[in-house]
Amino acid sequence: MNILLKAENVTKSYAGVQALKSASFELTGGEVHALIGENGAGKSTFIKILTGAVEADSGKLEIGENVVKENSPTIAKSLGVAAIYQQPALFPELSVAENIAFGQEKKGFFGRVDWKARRLKAQELLAEVGAKIDVDAEAGSLSMPQQQLVEIARALGANAKILILDEPTASLSEEDAKNLFRVIRSLKEKGVGMIYISHRLEELPVIADRVTVLRDGNTIDTREMSAVSREELIKLMVGRDLSQVFPKKDVKLGEVVLELRNLGYAKAGVKDINLTVRAGEIVGIAGLVGAGRTEFARAVFGLDTADSGEILLNGKSIRNTHPQDAIRHKIAYLPEDRRKHGVILDLPISTNITLSSLKILSGKFGFNFNKEKEVAAEYTRRLGVKTPSIHDSVSTLSGGNQQKVALSRWLITKPDVLILDEPTQGIDVGAKSEIHELMTELAEQGVAILMISSELPEILGMSDRVAVMHGGTIVEVLDRKEATQAKVLSIALGHTKVNGKL
Amino acid sequence: MEAIRQTNLQTEQPLFAKLFPNNEWVLLIVLSVEIILFGFTGNNFLTAGNGFEITRLAVEIGLLALVMTLIIITGGIDLSVGSMMGLSAVVMGALWRDAHLPMPLAILLTLLVGVLGGTLNALIITKLRFPPLIVTLGTFSLFRGMAEGLTRGIENYSGFSQEFLFLGQGYIFGLIPAQLLILIVAIFGIYWILQRTAYGRSLYAIGFSQEGARHAGIKVRRSLNIVYILSGLMSSLAAVIYVAHLGQAKSDAGTGYELMAITAVVLGGASIFGGRGTIPGTVLGLFAIVILQNGLRLSGQPAELAGILTGVLLVATILIDRISRQAAAKPKREFLEEEEVRNSQVGILSAVILLAAIIVAGSNWMLVRSIRESNSGSSSPSSSAQNQTANAPANGKKSVIAMMPKAKGDPYFISCKKGADEAAKEVGAELLWDGPTDLDPAKQNEVVEAWITRGVDTIAVSVENKEAISTVLKKAKDKGIKVVTWDADANKDARDLFINQATPQGIGETLMDEAARVLGNKGEFAIVTASLSAANQNEWIKYIKARLAEKYPDIKLVAIQPSDGDRDRAFSETQNILKVYPNVKLVMGIAAPAVPGVAEAVKQSGKTDVKVTGLSLPNMCKPYIKEGIIDHIVLWDTGNLGYLTVFVSNALANGTLKKGDKQIQAGKLKNIEIVEDEVRLGKPFVFNKENVDNFDF
Amino acid sequence: MNFDRYKREISAAIAYLVLLLIVGIAAPSFFDAGNLGDLFINNAPVLLLAIGMTLVILIGEIDISVGSQFAVASVAAGMLAKTGMPIPVLFFLMMLIGTVMGAVNGVLIGWLKLPSIIVTLALLVAWRDGLRWTTEGAWVQDLPPNFQWFGIGQTFGQILIVGIPLVIFAVFVWSLRNLNLGRAIYAVGSDAEAARLAGIKPQKVVFGVFVVMGALVGLAALLNAARFNSIPSNTGIGLELKAVAAVVVGGTAITGGRGKLIGTLIGVALLGTIGTALTFLGINAFWEKAIQGLIILAALVGDVVLARLERKKK
Repeated sequence: MNILLKAENVTKSYAGVQALKSASFELTGGEVHALIGENGAGKSTFIKILTGAVEADSGKLEIGENVVKENSPTIAKSLGVAAIYQQPALFPELSVAENIAFGQEKKGFFGRVDWKARRLKAQELLAEVGAKIDVDAEAGSLSMPQQQLVEIARALGANAKILILDEPTASLSEEDAKNLFRVIRSLKEKGVGMIYISHRLEELPVIADRVTVLRDGNTIDTREMSAVSREELIKLMVGRDLSQVFPKKDVKLGEVVLELRNLGYAKAGVKDINLTVRAGEIVGIAGLVGAGRTEFARAVFGLDTADSGEILLNGKSIRNTHPQDAIRHKIAYLPEDRRKHGVILDLPISTNITLSSLKILSGKFGFNFNKEKEVAAEYTRRLGVKTPSIHDSVSTLSGGNQQKVALSRWLITKPDVLILDEPTQGIDVGAKSEIHELMTELAEQGVAILMISSELPEILGMSDRVAVMHGGTIVEVLDRKEATQAKVLSIALGHTKVNGKL
Repeated sequence: MEAIRQTNLQTEQPLFAKLFPNNEWVLLIVLSVEIILFGFTGNNFLTAGNGFEITRLAVEIGLLALVMTLIIITGGIDLSVGSMMGLSAVVMGALWRDAHLPMPLAILLTLLVGVLGGTLNALIITKLRFPPLIVTLGTFSLFRGMAEGLTRGIENYSGFSQEFLFLGQGYIFGLIPAQLLILIVAIFGIYWILQRTAYGRSLYAIGFSQEGARHAGIKVRRSLNIVYILSGLMSSLAAVIYVAHLGQAKSDAGTGYELMAITAVVLGGASIFGGRGTIPGTVLGLFAIVILQNGLRLSGQPAELAGILTGVLLVATILIDRISRQAAAKPKREFLEEEEVRNSQVGILSAVILLAAIIVAGSNWMLVRSIRESNSGSSSPSSSAQNQTANAPANGKKSVIAMMPKAKGDPYFISCKKGADEAAKEVGAELLWDGPTDLDPAKQNEVVEAWITRGVDTIAVSVENKEAISTVLKKAKDKGIKVVTWDADANKDARDLFINQATPQGIGETLMDEAARVLGNKGEFAIVTASLSAANQNEWIKYIKARLAEKYPDIKLVAIQPSDGDRDRAFSETQNILKVYPNVKLVMGIAAPAVPGVAEAVKQSGKTDVKVTGLSLPNMCKPYIKEGIIDHIVLWDTGNLGYLTVFVSNALANGTLKKGDKQIQAGKLKNIEIVEDEVRLGKPFVFNKENVDNFDF
Repeated sequence: MNFDRYKREISAAIAYLVLLLIVGIAAPSFFDAGNLGDLFINNAPVLLLAIGMTLVILIGEIDISVGSQFAVASVAAGMLAKTGMPIPVLFFLMMLIGTVMGAVNGVLIGWLKLPSIIVTLALLVAWRDGLRWTTEGAWVQDLPPNFQWFGIGQTFGQILIVGIPLVIFAVFVWSLRNLNLGRAIYAVGSDAEAARLAGIKPQKVVFGVFVVMGALVGLAALLNAARFNSIPSNTGIGLELKAVAAVVVGGTAITGGRGKLIGTLIGVALLGTIGTALTFLGINAFWEKAIQGLIILAALVGDVVLARLERKKK
């Protein structure tokens, strides 16, 4: 096998923080090489070094035949490195054809654009990845999976020999993910080497050939995928055993707190939602992306105003037209997109924590700053947010700690109903279990919890009941005992009420 | 969860970061430097009186800047505040004078206008979700246009009651300007709202992320609506104070104030992208600008330096802010801001380009200077405020004469200055020449205030607006300063003498009579004026119309078009006039820069039967007069006007001229007649083909 | 032809046609060849500035210093002309002077990454006051006889003054669509970070656009100055707002990445016609500013209404 890429003892530090201590990595043609590690392990930094977005401090990097001394996006591209990030980096205002052609015709600023050739080439490349997309459409009008395919087509067009896929399935439905795997396999046959980054360990055996684990900026080990178990990988990633995975406790359930009757929001395609949640209960909401899970949560929280049906809180009908209404009714919602919605990155930790309780913290003469400090410090400690000061901005925290800040914000409001939307997505294993433990604790205190998750083990491990959504509505609610991975999946896929088989 | 303990969690913010969240210390240094520097160079800069005077000047812009801080923190901007001041001013004037409403009610309704205007901005921004920059650019034109339309540009409301004027001109305890209290209340009020309430906190969150704020339960639209409405309200309040300050309400109130307010806010450390900014910062920024202007004035430095220095300061503060943030940036953000070009390269590039810019600016300067010298030809060596002279003054002490044009950049006044310089040299007086760069009554007051503080012997003003300036001139008189008006008069009791080159009536009648002569007493003509709200021109037009009605029944005035004192605009307006009114046989330009524009338009149209007349400077019009396109222009010898003004000012200062004197020996002008309290320069002069070569100004 | 791609431009064009229709009915003499010619000539310099401003806004920035740059360049044009240099050299030097002024913006905004609205606000004040300081308001007079109309007579001079901006307009339309450079401008305005990762250097593009803006200012100042035989030192006040308004009315998104030069042309035509049209309609000049403001707001609201209608159709 020809070696496409070889990195040895690469280091990088930012402003005194050592992000990469010694990373080594090797990629051969036609291989899918998974790169895993907890958040902050140095994966992103390593990728940025490969793509030339940042330069390494020391170490050796060989791409193909070339020893790369100085890297830049242009150099990396010319050496056949292409990356596809979690959030597609297309130009929303430009057409698909143009996005695919972008920067690939090496003609300099005064080179001329051949529109006809661009379109043809784009159609060809899209066909290659099996996508039916109008090449004249504006990229911004495409769905997320479509945009991802356009990016892959772009990488193919650039004759990429090394393709980096950063959490490509994070926001894909099962079906779209399958399609993506199909494309990845066909690229393999063409001899493209792929670096595959994912938090979803369960998909690695399906797609990866080898796996390299990074921890604290060091390469820990590289293994054949077929020769390593999930548990082993976790152990390598965290450097310790995770004996109990889900800390679910049985809690005595209280009264029905939240009841939804035929709730619907036509614009988002959500309709006829019926569900009850009792105090102390954790109800998991399963379903594929696009099944309407987040949309349903938004309607309950008042981010969108439900246009049909009823929300009953402790038996009384309420109407949420704005999150403020929901908060007043003691409903809290931890959104899916942490960085955009969950926290405000540039604000200090303390401010973020108190942002939903400003009224509570206000006295007659305005805002009570001492109280804020107290409360912020209390929750920072209680949830174990790792930070030197509560006045640091949230952007300085790792993903898991940001999520803890986002959660603290809602805990202060002492909610009766807590809706968690993908609470552990994209955060490292340690923080993940801390959040699970917190959920258990809250349930014990009598909070009714709705948890949306794409991770089936999490749903099954944490929920008292599992509501499965498909086509904008809750198709079936399963009891903890009867819910199995296969069953939930089959309902989510639309095989309604077929027991057992997929 | 008690399992995880953090023993060393910091809950107190370091004092420095708390005091200066946005590098406000830079401004503090700037302010100290300004104060120290001007303390040494400026006359009476470091006095309590001056301290309070500075704050008086800061009030209107300060009020706008306070709310602008809130808006900029939300990531928005409001360009319409200055225009809203104009609209509010004329609405208040109209309600009080024309609708005969009592003043308090008029003020209340005016504030309501502000609220309505703010609501319009708010609705388009939050309901239709358009960028505030564009929306308020639209209302910027709309509000100003409405003010001009409602008053037809002409209306100038004045004669307000003393109680009302106290708001803008009075002193509490004889020292503290009345409006300062309003500013202080506003500062604390807005500070409290922004930095001490839940609402203020939510504005910061909105500034960083509207969606994020909404998810936290903050009513984003409502919060934004409130700031824009508050901004409209504050603009109206600023307009009320502005009117009380100047004693007049006109549609041009507050022109350009939006940029001043934004400058203060950004200097104060607010980020134009939203999320960052404080009220103390804005207040510091405000005073950094105001003190700069005041200090330069008291040190006798050119006012234009203020603009240049403000620009430099603005760039410097955001640069420092950026650098310090970059240094503090944590790993995650580093990536986004990583440069592909090394700092040294940027440094070299910047240096080269800035050097080139300086060379361009410098060579421009040299060229301009050299050409001006050659233009002025044989006349005395130009300029310099502190003109050292060999002539020993009569009483051993040089008198200081402060002379103000309506606008410094106006060629008309530049030609006056030439004569003034000459006279100053002759009599051995120190001449301070300063004034607004554009027509701006508020600036005129500011300059006079500065002169009072600085201490001068005589103040000579070409008055832009009677009502506005009379109060402050009276104050100067009270302090024992001799006050002279020239070119245009103030209220009689506000000055000692008026150097009268021609009365508005005389000008208007001469213009009309001469035009009638050219027209042969019949036909159509049109006027191209300065701006529609220009006080002088409107006065002349009044007398032109009166003369027309009285003496020339067969002549018709078909159009009055504005030129905004811009030659190019006068040109295109004249083109339109010639096409829309094909029977027009004469176009009269009544602003100095307008006449050449009018003449060029007539020339290019090829209509040889259309003549141009008007009021302008001979040098500007010479080519057209010689070609026969301009029949004649009316003016007086501007150099002599300046010369006489300085002569009279000096004589008043050293006591050689007293009240009741019937004449004065004014150097090269010989005997000049004094009638009551007016010094008569002589009649307006008509320049035509035959005599124009004899003049050079 | 894909009409969808031009919907903003079409709405501006419709507004313009309505205006023309009203003027045509009420004052047919408006369409007199001479008047249209004058309109073209008077707005030709504004068109040049608006072309540059379109590029600036397309990359998501703004330049409010152009009015002051224009004044500096105008005076410089007069100074240089007085030295008696040949006209082609004058053209070259004017572009160079504009380039230098644009480069100051370019360095501060492109490389030092300072916000454009603040930088150009600072330079708006600094250039203007600097010019006032040096010239003290004096006009440039006694220009050599070959300066007005470039010494080729009124007719040919006018053709040149209209022709140059139109040619430049055509060149820019073509380049924006068909050159990699043009597409890079859209890419940077659309998403600077994505553009960087695609191998474009955004700072180079930003710098380049401001330099081009400057060069166009220099050229516009020269073309404007050549219509007269003297040069006032206080020209160009408010020109920046005129240019920005024309671009926005023409449908270019202030947030960058979206817009077309053809829209800008319509915007310049629309705003440039109003003043003259009002005079022809016999409406008093003092309503002009208010109507201008209304048109800007109407263009915005029209956009929303169009979008809503479209959604309903779907």
